[in-house]
Amino acid sequence: MRLLNTTGWVVKMQIRIAGIGGQGVILAGIILGEAAAIEGLNVVQTQDYGSQSRGGHSIADLIISKEPIYDLMVTKADVLVALAQLGYDSTKDSLRKDGILIIDTDLVKPDREYVGAPFTRLAEEKTGLALTVNMVALGYLVAKTNVVKKESVEMAIKRRAPKGTEEINLKAFRIGYEEGLK
Amino acid sequence: MRYPFPVGDADFIQGDEAIARAAILAGCRFYAGYPITPASEIFEAMSLYMPLVDGVSIQMEDEIASIAAVIGASWAGAKAMTATSGPGFSLMMENLGYAIMTETPLVLVNVQRSGPSTGQPTLAAQGDVMQAIWGTHGDHSLIVLTPATVQEAFDMTIRAFNLAEKYRTPVILLTDAEVGHMRERVYAPHPDELELVCRKLPANEEEAKYPFGDVHGDLVPPMPIFGKGHRTYVTGLTHDERGRPKTVDAEIHERLVKRIVGKIENNKKDIIDYETYGLEDADIAIVSFGIVARSAMRAVKELRKEGINAGLLKLNVLWPFDFELIEKIAENVDRIYVAEMNLGQLYHMVKEGANGKAKVELISRIGGEVHTPGEIVERIKRDLR
Repeated sequence: MRLLNTTGWVVKMQIRIAGIGGQGVILAGIILGEAAAIEGLNVVQTQDYGSQSRGGHSIADLIISKEPIYDLMVTKADVLVALAQLGYDSTKDSLRKDGILIIDTDLVKPDREYVGAPFTRLAEEKTGLALTVNMVALGYLVAKTNVVKKESVEMAIKRRAPKGTEEINLKAFRIGYEEGLK
Repeated sequence: MRYPFPVGDADFIQGDEAIARAAILAGCRFYAGYPITPASEIFEAMSLYMPLVDGVSIQMEDEIASIAAVIGASWAGAKAMTATSGPGFSLMMENLGYAIMTETPLVLVNVQRSGPSTGQPTLAAQGDVMQAIWGTHGDHSLIVLTPATVQEAFDMTIRAFNLAEKYRTPVILLTDAEVGHMRERVYAPHPDELELVCRKLPANEEEAKYPFGDVHGDLVPPMPIFGKGHRTYVTGLTHDERGRPKTVDAEIHERLVKRIVGKIENNKKDIIDYETYGLEDADIAIVSFGIVARSAMRAVKELRKEGINAGLLKLNVLWPFDFELIEKIAENVDRIYVAEMNLGQLYHMVKEGANGKAKVELISRIGGEVHTPGEIVERIKRDLR
């Protein structure tokens, strides 16, 4: 597996987070994008979701680069985070052969090499709120890829998490981050 | 003045949000609208921000009333804006004509989605190019700007207000669901860094008598403001210099309409804006605008890597249109491709501009997805084989 923190920044990174509506996939994408923007990187974030508010597929795409970005949607993902089987099935073909697949190991049964942890279970057991699964996964992603600094994400969470939920989201992010360092 | 969002700093925001913030920085203090995907976020932001800057954001009963309220606010002295998408844009066409005929500065944002009719509400399209330019009836001209990035959506909103005020005309910001909903890093200048234009007001009672005359010889009359003591008559009927209806006099009609068209056409150089990449030595030119110009830019870079001399013309203004520029490009290339998310609209203007001096081909895509750079590259390579 290609570890991005050893090769460092090359040109750009395409990240796709896929799950189902209600998992906070798009908020995770926005927070990661904000963290990149805080670091002065160029970033484009787009999204694709079904019209139902829960249960349909939900995909957040991020392209992060030091150069100007012309692309819109992720075409060849360097990193794919899959939080649900439906999300994985509908996006797996977009992951590069040498890309990193990160999954919720309880909820996704992949057909290729992967890393991951039971994000939803961790969220529920350690924060008491399964809803923070998006931040647990984001922490794991940041630890595994070093795409942005941990501190930038924490600042972005403080800015973007719904008022009153900053602390629990930060906690979830740090749990995921620690898990990713293992 | 305190702003309810960061200024003199960068932020990570959606295109729609950028348009709302830029409008407020440009001095817009009146917004009227009716919610519609994918333009609703503009209304949402305006509803949040306007009360905090002593402005007004109001929900009207429909889009006809929305643009009517904006016209009224503009005559009351406010910089005013409305935003909508396809179905609402169609409803606004009659009053857009009224705004042109009464020379009312305003900004109308169309965040394009797939049509016709209600079509694909959440997906992007560029199907309203012809409608933006020619959708309202009668001889007329107006200004149409089109952004490709969230930063451009921001910058062009400010420019839209400046042009509307300078030329006393409606300006359309023609964007799409993709630019409206994507998030990018955007720098919002501090208002002190901005050059803002405000409409000419009558210098004296004498000038105020002729709100539709060529008082300064620049085709743009000073605009009296309602409530400032002037007697002003505003009508969509053909009117004389004082604004009085004169509906059967050919000479008056011709003078009025030719001045309204002339103030845009004669100032093409000031209004038109475009960017080029690699056109100097190009054999193949791609003409594109808005969201598709990003894919076209990537396509040009990839074609060049493969030894094909391609170049890009990215239009930032769709009307007035620089037919002469297209002819000049056509003289120097073998073929011009027009990449757009419709079945061929800009294509026809480019074909007219090329004037037979180069073959003009359409790379069309509809259904909500933007052309990928690869699609554009493949099409051009296939033709070269």
